[in-house]
Amino acid sequence: MTRKSHRVLPGFGLSLGYSLVYLSLLVLIPLGALIARSAQLSLADFWAIATTERAFAAYKITFGCALIAAIVNGVFGLIVAWVLVRYDFPGKRLVDAFVDLPFALPTAVAGITLTTLYASTGWVGQFLEGVLGFKVAFTPAGIVVALIFIGIPFVVRTVQPVIEDIEQEVEEAAASLGATRGQTFFRVLLPALFPALLTGFTLAFSRAVGEYGSVIFIAGNMPMVSEITPLLIISKLEQYDLPGATVLAVVMLVISFVLLLAINLLQWWTANRHSGRHIENGVQA
Amino acid sequence: MSTVRRVNTESLLVRCVLIVLALGFLFFFLGLPLLAVFAEAFKQGFGPYWHALMEPDALSALGLTLLIALLVLPLNLLFGLAAAWAIAKFEFRGKSLLTTLIDLPFAVSPVVAGLLFILIFGRQGWLGPWLQAHDIKIIFALPGMVIATMFITFPYIARELIPLMQSQGKDEEEAAVSLGASGLQMFWRVSLPNIKWGLLYGVILANARAMGEFGAVSVVSGHIRGETNTLPLHVEILYNEYNTVGAFAAASVLALLALVTLVAKTFVEWRMQKETEMLSAELPPERAPLAAVVQQAASQAGDGKLEAARRSPERIEK
Amino acid sequence: MSIAVKNISKRFGNFTALDNISLEIPTGELVALLGPSGCGKTTLLRIIAGMESADQGSVHFHGEEATHVHTRERQVGFVFQHYALFRHMSVFENVAFGLRVKPRATRPSESEIRERVMKLLKLVQLDWLAERYPSQLSGGQRQRIALARALAVEPKVLLLDEPFGALDTQVRKELRRWLRRLHDEMHIASVFVTHDQEEALEVADRVVVMNKGRIEQMGTPDQVYSAPASPFVYRFLGNVNVFHSRVHGQWADVDRAAHVEKDEALAFVRPHDIEIQRESSDGALSAGVLHVQAIGPLVRVEVEHQGEVFEVELTRERHNQLALVAGETVWLRPRNLRVFQGEQMVSSQTFDLGAGI
Repeated sequence: MTRKSHRVLPGFGLSLGYSLVYLSLLVLIPLGALIARSAQLSLADFWAIATTERAFAAYKITFGCALIAAIVNGVFGLIVAWVLVRYDFPGKRLVDAFVDLPFALPTAVAGITLTTLYASTGWVGQFLEGVLGFKVAFTPAGIVVALIFIGIPFVVRTVQPVIEDIEQEVEEAAASLGATRGQTFFRVLLPALFPALLTGFTLAFSRAVGEYGSVIFIAGNMPMVSEITPLLIISKLEQYDLPGATVLAVVMLVISFVLLLAINLLQWWTANRHSGRHIENGVQA
Repeated sequence: MSTVRRVNTESLLVRCVLIVLALGFLFFFLGLPLLAVFAEAFKQGFGPYWHALMEPDALSALGLTLLIALLVLPLNLLFGLAAAWAIAKFEFRGKSLLTTLIDLPFAVSPVVAGLLFILIFGRQGWLGPWLQAHDIKIIFALPGMVIATMFITFPYIARELIPLMQSQGKDEEEAAVSLGASGLQMFWRVSLPNIKWGLLYGVILANARAMGEFGAVSVVSGHIRGETNTLPLHVEILYNEYNTVGAFAAASVLALLALVTLVAKTFVEWRMQKETEMLSAELPPERAPLAAVVQQAASQAGDGKLEAARRSPERIEK
Repeated sequence: MSIAVKNISKRFGNFTALDNISLEIPTGELVALLGPSGCGKTTLLRIIAGMESADQGSVHFHGEEATHVHTRERQVGFVFQHYALFRHMSVFENVAFGLRVKPRATRPSESEIRERVMKLLKLVQLDWLAERYPSQLSGGQRQRIALARALAVEPKVLLLDEPFGALDTQVRKELRRWLRRLHDEMHIASVFVTHDQEEALEVADRVVVMNKGRIEQMGTPDQVYSAPASPFVYRFLGNVNVFHSRVHGQWADVDRAAHVEKDEALAFVRPHDIEIQRESSDGALSAGVLHVQAIGPLVRVEVEHQGEVFEVELTRERHNQLALVAGETVWLRPRNLRVFQGEQMVSSQTFDLGAGI
């Protein structure tokens, strides 16, 4: 018939059109520019720029530090989420709200503050260097500290709702079957939390890989030692080495996309594992 | 009750250890830095602090930060509404691709985001020669900073609205239309009131990010003092010049903004939770229509009477 | 206003929701669309309301084609399965909505709106809840508010999607009778969707039984119940015993010449249409009594014949006469049976068994 795609609710064309134009101008065309730019290089050139010693060192530092930070966040994020859901203590709501500070605090502020704290004269640095002889600021350890800071909310906020949803009956059932509290946690609860934990971990890792603002102050930025990839891109830009910056950006983008894909797969997996619970309310009698 | 430990909790010792670990971790990584911002800012007393804040460069940086947020947020708000409306209320091909595209900025390093726009608008970029010929400045000027901020912050509102609107379904909108409402009437009277808190939540998050963005803006700004310096960039410059008090004074303003954001966010979360609680509240006991008044009295009198009323044969007879 | 639906088809991807449906509903009639979930009944209702568009076919209101008329202009009152009350508006505002969104020229004044809304709230007996919010209402109350809201715009047609689906049994029963009375007062065509056969039989003037996107049978509640047109209708409406021609030849009495062996004939008999006798007679099947259970006014007897279990319902009186005991052997005779070959009905027989009841 004439109006096959007739829809009852208005605004489909307008809203989808606006979204697509916005996304095209802001995301698709710029990404296209990046790809086009890197395609101007021969594969050999691309490979040569992408794998210089300095670039390799930067990848290693970027991903290595991000990995360590994400692991720390995974462990402590789980503990924080657990404590916030399950235990009561004074000021709990305040602490709960406070967890999101890294989302709200500009990264530059975090950067200079952490640097000041962990420098050899700072509140924490004094102690670490003086007593333990452990230098944090201006070393890769500093990078890890900054990345831990920005990654805290990710794990907590993905795991927290899942802990809230766990039916206590499951734990009671485990206990009634003779499991110790530890067995219950590791055999019953942890497997249930694992997908969310992994999602939170991946989000924190992915954010840490691209982080710039909070890291550059504390990193020391010594090539080959404490220089992260985003900073290397900036220094290439400042030297008007656009092809060099482009290549590194493409490498980072590809890795980020793989991570994004992984997150989506994880979420899809989590949502579908208990299939049958979600029935789309599309076609029904 | 106190002699038997509940099955589903840990021993007191474990609980204490976990609480101490969690709070210690948060204090070390969140609490201490926040304290340090203000401690450093006021290190030399209030005078120098105030002086640093009232410096023309600091004020113009603050002004620029506010201006960028003011320009970016309405556009992102419109985008968030449009994208969420299309995705949540309609079925179409490529929907999941669109959803993924919206998540993209979360996975892109801010520095790479800035670079994207240099590649288009920069001197050696696609539009570079044309822009230069027409004397239009985008990179190292306000437009570039606005665009970069838009890129970084556009997902926030959409991401908040999509699941919210999806969970609400389209029944209410369809009901409004079947009752004769026009598109705008439906939107203003039904859709918008239903999503107002989610919308506000998204705006708060987007605003915090827009005002605090560093990496992407840094790449496209050119750091021209008094012109293309936002507050976060201003912090960096002062810090690199070893003007600690100045840097931390500016940082304290941003930290204050962060605290305000947290408070607002918590308030909105509380409102949203209250609303969902209200919606999923357990229904009051069913009352039969024809004995409404009797039932009302019975339910006020208590459950026992209500049960009696339920069973009473007259009611069924009626 | 009458509704006519002509040759409507609708597909969702590979799924055929509606397959060439035609239907007429005269003014004043209350029609039930009855069928299992997935049979297309809600889709049909939504197409009548204009909320879904058909791939083929047309919808007519009072003889005029309305296929392309927007929902907004169709003047249908639609009651949603989950009520779709506006959660942030009070009950009063919910009911007033349809009046408030009218174009200025036809919009009633504030006092008229108030008067009409309160009248409607009185009609649904909930005027005392005007200031409440939907979340503060019980399911049955929400249902009635949804109805009042739909009636506020004086619809020409009332459409209800599973109106009692989410309510508990007692409230359901009350609301059914109430809806019936309300409909009778209004003289409009009403259509409601349900998967509950009891509901359809009790409330509707006419029942449209649907299955897999097709209409299986249309008729009065009595017609569809006592003269089902297909095995599906038999099975869907009430309990039924099925006898196979091969096993129970004398019951599924089909003309053997016309009967192709591969398509076995089946005889359908309702449990209350089987008479239990102590003596053998012509056409009776012998059966062993497995279990006897009194359920309210009836007594349900499970009997076994050649390895298959059948259900027989007796009145208490008849049962008292017979005094059946598990384990004994009795004789079964049908009072009313219909024989189908595939979807095709090949015979329908009624036997006068005389005494018995």
